[in-house]
Amino acid sequence: MGEQMSESLEKGLAVLRAEVDYKVKSFFSSCVNCGICAESCLFYTETRDPRYTPIYKTEPLRKIWKSEYSFWGKLSSAIGISSSFTEADLADWEELVYDGCSMCGRCSMVCPVGVDISGVIFKVKQALAAAGFSPEGLVGASQRALEIGSPMGITLTTVQAVIKHVEEDTGLSVPMDVEGAEYMALLSSNEIALYPEYLESLVKIFDHAGVSWTLSSKAFEATNAGLQIGNKAIAGQLVQRVVDGAEALKVKTVISPECGHAYTALRWEGPNYIGKAYPFKVVHILELLDELRAQGRIQTTGMETDRLTFHDPCSIVRRGGIQAQPRNLLEPIAENFVEMTDHGSMNWCCGGGGGVSSNERAEELKLTAFNKKKSQIEELKVDAVVTACSNCRMVMEEGVEVNEMDIPLLGLTELIAEHLAEKRAD
Amino acid sequence: MIEYLIDGPLWYFSLAVFVIGVLWQLVAIVFASRKGDLSVARGNATSSALKNIFSRFIPHREIAPQIGVQVVAGYLFHLGLFALLFFAAPHVLFLEQNLLGFGWTPMPHWAFILSAQAAFLGLIILWLRRMTNSVSRLISTLDDHIVAILTFVVMLTGCLALLEGFTALRLLHRFTVELWLIYFPFSALMHTFTFIPSRAFTGAWFGRRGIDA
Amino acid sequence: MRIQTLLLLFCLVLPQLSPAAGPPTNQDFPQGVSSISPGSELWREIRQRDGAILEGTSQVKSVDSGVLINARGEEWARFRVTKLSSYGGIAIAAIFVIVILLYVVRGKILIDGGLSGRMVRRFTDYERIVHWTLAIVFLFLAITGLILLLGKPLLIPLFGKEVFSVFASASKEGHNLFGPLFLVSLVMMFLSFARRNIYEKGDLTWLLKGGGIIGDGHVSGGFFNMGEKTWYWMVILIGFVIAISGLILVSPVFGQGRWIMELSHVVHTIGALILITVSVGHMYLGSIGSEGAMEGMKSGYVDINWADAHHDRWGKVCHDENLIVSAEEYARLQGRKPGDSGELATEQGK
Repeated sequence: MGEQMSESLEKGLAVLRAEVDYKVKSFFSSCVNCGICAESCLFYTETRDPRYTPIYKTEPLRKIWKSEYSFWGKLSSAIGISSSFTEADLADWEELVYDGCSMCGRCSMVCPVGVDISGVIFKVKQALAAAGFSPEGLVGASQRALEIGSPMGITLTTVQAVIKHVEEDTGLSVPMDVEGAEYMALLSSNEIALYPEYLESLVKIFDHAGVSWTLSSKAFEATNAGLQIGNKAIAGQLVQRVVDGAEALKVKTVISPECGHAYTALRWEGPNYIGKAYPFKVVHILELLDELRAQGRIQTTGMETDRLTFHDPCSIVRRGGIQAQPRNLLEPIAENFVEMTDHGSMNWCCGGGGGVSSNERAEELKLTAFNKKKSQIEELKVDAVVTACSNCRMVMEEGVEVNEMDIPLLGLTELIAEHLAEKRAD
Repeated sequence: MIEYLIDGPLWYFSLAVFVIGVLWQLVAIVFASRKGDLSVARGNATSSALKNIFSRFIPHREIAPQIGVQVVAGYLFHLGLFALLFFAAPHVLFLEQNLLGFGWTPMPHWAFILSAQAAFLGLIILWLRRMTNSVSRLISTLDDHIVAILTFVVMLTGCLALLEGFTALRLLHRFTVELWLIYFPFSALMHTFTFIPSRAFTGAWFGRRGIDA
Repeated sequence: MRIQTLLLLFCLVLPQLSPAAGPPTNQDFPQGVSSISPGSELWREIRQRDGAILEGTSQVKSVDSGVLINARGEEWARFRVTKLSSYGGIAIAAIFVIVILLYVVRGKILIDGGLSGRMVRRFTDYERIVHWTLAIVFLFLAITGLILLLGKPLLIPLFGKEVFSVFASASKEGHNLFGPLFLVSLVMMFLSFARRNIYEKGDLTWLLKGGGIIGDGHVSGGFFNMGEKTWYWMVILIGFVIAISGLILVSPVFGQGRWIMELSHVVHTIGALILITVSVGHMYLGSIGSEGAMEGMKSGYVDINWADAHHDRWGKVCHDENLIVSAEEYARLQGRKPGDSGELATEQGK
């Protein structure tokens, strides 16, 4: 590496080197470049552009592993042949990693030698972020998240306005900053802005089921722009706010809302970002609703008669582990439910996860990738699609509109709230 | 002189490089320091890790139709090669006399020929796929091609020496085997061993989230 | 030699010692053959110089064991060494000379207007894999087969018996193991391409015009033209004959007698020589002989100008159904970075 290097490239390289851990060593020595991962990735299948092959997105890290950790690389350096790593070798991957990858993890499921390709792509993302090669939309989102508290710039004032409407519509009160409540619920900016019915549904369901819960004025935001952009420091800061809020209110469990990456950030990665385990549990709203259903605390009435299917949000199902719960919850209220051919942990991404939907530059690619979801929906000839992630919902609504499909997207929590029985039979 | 080298020092050298190289790499991977995961696991990581080592031998139903060539040719090649490496009579005898001191019942000659044919066909198809498919052409490295061709040459020299009547052919085969053993630890051939920890790591990652990967 | 003669005489004498013994009989010679010393009549019959096969009985019970000396076998052996090997070798040499002359005199067959850069998909990944698998297996079998065929007339005089014996043994083992793979590849080839090689209207015209050599050089063709179809069916049919005769030859445990082995060998060799010679022409035309031809079997895409020039009926379909991709799109599909001239978007290397 005897070249003049820019500061940003140096930062990126430092991260790449730091990210070569035992998994990376195992993965890169196992990969035989078979190309099976390409067939699992909707960015490849819908564009047929080989550069969107998942393992290809890890190329910057593979180069570092090869030149600094492999036998041939070390031998070459020892005898004076240095391999070049230019700025382009990192910068050219910005589009592939941020626009052409939604971190859906489908590739990690199919790799025959067991490479967690999505996990390795995230390492490359961190290097790109450190070097400053990130899309404008995500940079702005992280800044707003840090400074204002929400990637979309939503403040407590906005939340309070939404709460007011919900209280008026339902006649129930939304608890705020209630110390000692059992559950602290989080919201995603998307839900506050686009789907306030989610909060309304929560209020109704929790009242029906007799759940002790609260919102926090200091920590209402679930989303994590740090995770989206690939900056663990920012991600950790955002998680710490939630932890501080939960600790201040002394809640037992924090509820992650219908948002994919928020669940990943809070439930699975959060403790590692902040370096310590939580003094509380974290559940996804679907987990809680399913628990309540199993305990008989949610009584529903009536059934949806429309032909329905369920879109599995990648970060909640495949990368989050919540596969059975949405089916359990739909069973009592949907009489005409059909599974997508590829469903559950092998369902296809909506195309907008992992920060793609916040990246304006990726708009066209995202809509092309949506063709996969479109074909899944059309194959089933359903009347509506149910999902449990506000980002998926927003992305699919756009895709449906652009393709003139006339298929409504329904939120699962809302659907349950709509079918709540008058009064819970005690 | 050549016979002495190939049957003697070069054999021991190649064996040493192979064993030490493979062990070194595996130890570096398996015994490397790793940070614990502070999140609360939903499922059992260890049992998922072990399960994943075996479950990934069967491709997911959802993707199987798209990867037919890789699966069929891949198994033809790997199973054929495994069978002829460990159960062909000349190899069983070789292992008994030169390495292990004990042998086992080899497969009948016709099965040996069939395994070899399957291995050849599978490898030819796999390498041709690597050369014709645009994804493979983009991501394949020189190492991938060397490994395919070197393995093919080893198999071919073995086939050419099948009569076991000419020293030159036997030595050619043994020599290519020794080259293969020396190249092994520094190449993609390491996947022979590293697929196990890789599958285990990913199985554990998904398993603690409660997903069967 | 003397011991063998004595043993032979002893074996002939032995049956005389049994009570029912008489002169050796054969259905063609019910009256028997005189074996009175020196037994020249007996030996004449055994030696079968008069053409009829004398089959005796033997204690060895297997196919053809009643035939002591196979005179026809010597015919076959002589035919193989003097005619088959030599003429075969000459034919191979000749086709190379023809192809070289063709290139020198006629040159590469160019397309009017050259290549456009706009491409159309002709062959899928699988189809190309099938073709190249067959090609590799065929070439290996051709080379090993020719080594076995040309030993006596060419290779032994050139390299000596010790060196040749190594090559012959290696070739025999390789040839026998890869033979069945040829059959498998042929079946794959048949399944992939048979439908498009069925004769259709316009093919006879193509043939009568010599593919464009006779006349003004322009002749209409479908997805595959008649030349390609002819070659295809030669490969399938003659290839099938070669494969079956090869299987007969490689597994002499199913009761094959000498006659069927001789026939199989001759048919196998002649069929192989035909395919080898024509394949040289095929390889020439598919690579340096015709502009734009190789791309189809490499990337699966061909230039639309090439399609219009050589397969205009198929080219028309491509135009009508909008199947043509631009040069930029083609580059993108091959994995080239946008803006790159022709480099793949990664350094393929260590």
